[in-house]
Amino acid sequence: MDELIEQFAIEARELVQQASDDLMGLEADAGNREHLESAFRAIHTLKGSVGLFDLGPMKDVLHHAENLLSHARAGMIAVDATLVDPLLSVVEWVEDSIDAIVETGHLSDAQDKQASRLFGLLKGEMTARETVEAIRSSTTIPEWALALAERLPSSGTPGTVIAIRYEPHPECFFNGDDPLATISRLPDLQHLSLSLTEPPPSPKNYDPFRCSLVIEAVCGGPLSKLEPEFRLIPDQVKLVELPRPGDQRTSAAIDRSPQRLTDRQATMRVDSARIDRLIEIAGELVTAKNGLVPLAEEAQNHGEGALARRIGSSHEEIERLVASLYSAVTQARMIPLEQTFRRFPRLVRETSTKLGKALDLVIEGETVEADREIVENLFEPLLHLIRNGLDHGIEHDGERLQSSKSARGRILLRARQRGDQVEIEVTDDGRGMDPERIRKTAVDRGLLTATRAASLPDRDALQLVFAPGFSTASAVSDLSGRGVGLDVVQRSIHRLGGTLDMQTALGSGTSFTLRLPISFSMTQLMVVEVGGERYGIPISDIVETQRLPLRAVQPIRAGRAFILRDRTIPLLYLADLLQIPQTGAASADLKVLVVRAGEDQIGVVVDAIAERAETLTRPLSGFLQGVTGIAGTTLLGDGRVLLVLDLEELIQ
Amino acid sequence: MTISVDDKAIRLEGQCGVEEVETLVDYMDRHPDLHIDLSAATTIHTSLLQALMVFRPTLMSPPVSSLISDSVLREIYACCRQSGQ
Repeated sequence: MDELIEQFAIEARELVQQASDDLMGLEADAGNREHLESAFRAIHTLKGSVGLFDLGPMKDVLHHAENLLSHARAGMIAVDATLVDPLLSVVEWVEDSIDAIVETGHLSDAQDKQASRLFGLLKGEMTARETVEAIRSSTTIPEWALALAERLPSSGTPGTVIAIRYEPHPECFFNGDDPLATISRLPDLQHLSLSLTEPPPSPKNYDPFRCSLVIEAVCGGPLSKLEPEFRLIPDQVKLVELPRPGDQRTSAAIDRSPQRLTDRQATMRVDSARIDRLIEIAGELVTAKNGLVPLAEEAQNHGEGALARRIGSSHEEIERLVASLYSAVTQARMIPLEQTFRRFPRLVRETSTKLGKALDLVIEGETVEADREIVENLFEPLLHLIRNGLDHGIEHDGERLQSSKSARGRILLRARQRGDQVEIEVTDDGRGMDPERIRKTAVDRGLLTATRAASLPDRDALQLVFAPGFSTASAVSDLSGRGVGLDVVQRSIHRLGGTLDMQTALGSGTSFTLRLPISFSMTQLMVVEVGGERYGIPISDIVETQRLPLRAVQPIRAGRAFILRDRTIPLLYLADLLQIPQTGAASADLKVLVVRAGEDQIGVVVDAIAERAETLTRPLSGFLQGVTGIAGTTLLGDGRVLLVLDLEELIQ
Repeated sequence: MTISVDDKAIRLEGQCGVEEVETLVDYMDRHPDLHIDLSAATTIHTSLLQALMVFRPTLMSPPVSSLISDSVLREIYACCRQSGQ
């Protein structure tokens, strides 16, 4: 693939994301100058990159989009939904086209055809605005601002000057506004003119509570200092930066680009494969380091106590260094959750429009960092949970108002760091889940019998939503009902080493909590033997180990159990679980690992308990990914590969 | 009372808020030939200043010390007639 195109694709995706973030920001807060400037810059740069290739109409479409934004920057057109919507369509179109561009080097026919529709949208927007706003000249500075500029003394103070046109809303006095006091507070007010709106109110039937003022002023800049003064009334104020006499008006995009370039030099793009290679090497170092332990033992056995101690101490030294190397490389793989989170607002916006449900997506904690693999793999499960909330949780506004909720639904996506875990919450304020309905659905789907369902406590009944084959959607929608259930979500979270919990309250909403490791860190493993094979089990899964005399085992129906501190604990053989023939002599005492399985404890019989090892467990990839009961693989000191078991999954 | 009237003038004193605007308009309506005395006012709400711009009474000396910017007062005085001082 052409390297230039590759670079373009990376940059274009970033710019598209930036533009779409900013446009959505503008949608929520039309007066936000920063978003407007940033959206303009993103589209401007994107247009520039597109210009390097032969991408047919894309450059022209972006050119029109850029024009619209530049008019908005000059205060010539208002920022509102009719401006933002077509621009978002353009951004989506560019994003959808990137893949084809990477593959073929040009725009696909289907995308090409869309261009004329977008032109229509943008041009319609443009001409509609032009007739309304009566923009005549090609200059980007509106006439009122030019008129104000003429009234300024020619030997003005240096620095930027801003023209202000403030038309207070007629009802603004009722909001507690005091427009002239606001103007009086402005720093460096250089000129002010007041006039009454046309036609001027007459003293005869004067309504003293109706504001009919037009305030025009000139003020020392910069723009960023003035904007906060008007942040509550952006729709009533127009701010335009006036050109200095004889000064070429340079666009802000050009002004700011050098600064942005220096910002970037602090970071550099590194192919993630290189970092992965470093992690692999660090992992191998851990393994190599573990090889020193048997070496020290051997020296000890040969009566070389001093040598054994020296090997032991360099083992410790290397261990310390390897650990810090490992954590440093792991750090390099950490990216903020924002990378995944930022994709949701637009998807939610699309989906909520499709469903006709008004909704706010609140995102918190997007700066929390986790391993790249975890962050990237969170997208699907989170998307599913959010869609689930949108589709099944959030009610239509009529229903919401009846249950005295605000008409707009709310979904909270919040991340927090808890020790070496990251906790992500997806909470909706919708209707919650009804245990009765879940029981009924589960029975309908044949997941369990009616009597068994009835005997389930509510708390357990709710957990049925995680059962494979369960879906409460009465009509399969194209949103969450795509054959993917919460069971799949739960499994993918498990695969990342995390857990998924749900709380729900009928009528007030549902909350899913994901807990995930921040990175794939070193894990302590206990190595066990069974049927002549060795397996690793994370020590965190093991509650304790027990030596159990054979006679302590009691048969219970088809199974076996034993008593440990007055508790009956079911007993399973690891060989059975792994379906390998048992070899251990039946006469000796049993070696039992007591492990946690959900709320319960279960005894697992192994042939022998070997050493403990600290290793880096890599999640399974490729073919092995689907194998149940295997958490990953690791290398041992002697170079052998050890399968790490997920006992909980194996027992189920 | 921050707005009062006597046989010479309608006087604005201290902080004159939006709640006074009806009083001011009422006074200006009933006494179109009275001057307005702003000298003791510290703040004057926009609604009152706008009423002055609409009724265009004769204004006496400007406030001695106020939080109202000079540019605003200049505009108001330019809009209304000024007494001889």
